[in-house]
Amino acid sequence: MVLLRMVMIVLAVLMAGTARANDNATSDNAANSLLLANGDVRLQKPKGDACIRPTEWMRRNHMDFLQHKRAVTVREGARKRSESLLQCKSCHPSREQFCDRCHDYVGVEPNCFECHIYPE
Amino acid sequence: MTMDRRTVLGMGGAAAVGVLLAPGVQLIAAPPNETAAANAHRWAMLVDITKCNPACTACIDACRKENNIPLFGDPARDIHWIRKVEVQDKERQRPPFTLPVLCNHCEYPPCVHVCPTSASFVRKDGIVLVDEHRCIGCRYCMIACPYKARSLVYFPTKPPKDGNPQVPIRAKGVVEKCTFCVHRVDDGQPPACVETCQQSGHAAMMFGDLNDPQSEISQRVKTLRTETIRPDLGLKPHVHYQGL
Ligand code: SF4
Ligand code: SF4
Repeated sequence: MVLLRMVMIVLAVLMAGTARANDNATSDNAANSLLLANGDVRLQKPKGDACIRPTEWMRRNHMDFLQHKRAVTVREGARKRSESLLQCKSCHPSREQFCDRCHDYVGVEPNCFECHIYPE
Repeated sequence: MTMDRRTVLGMGGAAAVGVLLAPGVQLIAAPPNETAAANAHRWAMLVDITKCNPACTACIDACRKENNIPLFGDPARDIHWIRKVEVQDKERQRPPFTLPVLCNHCEYPPCVHVCPTSASFVRKDGIVLVDEHRCIGCRYCMIACPYKARSLVYFPTKPPKDGNPQVPIRAKGVVEKCTFCVHRVDDGQPPACVETCQQSGHAAMMFGDLNDPQSEISQRVKTLRTETIRPDLGLKPHVHYQGL
């Protein structure tokens, strides 16, 4: 029994090791891969000098922020143009290379863009 | 003193929070479109039927363009926020005439009362809206509305080529209707149909605030003989007609 368990553990470690090696290989080989060498998702460089909130905060909270904005805009009528989804594109011109990159990587499918137009 | 964009925007946010937390203590007044809709307003429309040209469809076309409304090519399934109804008045022997019919933004809207998800709601300024994020497409509201103002989106849609980014396109399976061009009203502009009607030279439609006794629409509703469609239902519609 103990032997079997040890074999399983060794196998698992080996498999994890190969998976990691594969990851490294792809990110090294393809210049336009989704990942940077340090494991970060490769995003389009923003154009402006600062986001409407600190970048770290945005990374964690943009979804709740947008959801809250959605509620106050639709239901209360407080339309803050400078913080509208349409304004994101002034710094992040490409949705595919900014929003979608991360969403694809983590496998979430927000349905904002089924209806909202991300301006060209 | 120089400030970068984030500082300035952050101050804007702080001002907005200040307004929300302590009404009355207002440090920096937020621009009109950034404050919540207030019940100080009661938006309404007045249509002068005698000026509405039966051959004209300017309001319908402007509405489609402004609100990215697709045409599916199936009259039974097409979305209409505003449509023209032809009236034959045999009793009074009048020549047939047309009137634009749209959501009346009723004071007591049955569509809102029956909505099981609170997707349909009334804003503080009287505009009745569908929060399409919440709508489940049950269509209770379509049955409840006596003015046939609502449409179900039967088919998936794509953004039109020169679409208006201010207005989302629609998801299949939600119900939608005229919003009084709420995105324009919040910016201090009249709905697209009203603007086009003025520009086309007919000037049959006007839009304004009934809570402001000085506004043109208040004056006209007070002094002229205006009517609403089916006032007997007691919903207090807010699309008023003159010369009906
Ligand atoms: S006209 Fe119909 S959709 Fe518009 S508020 Fe009245 S009941 Fe609701
Ligand atoms: S179709 Fe949508 S808006 Fe209409 S009653 Fe059902 S959930 Fe509410």
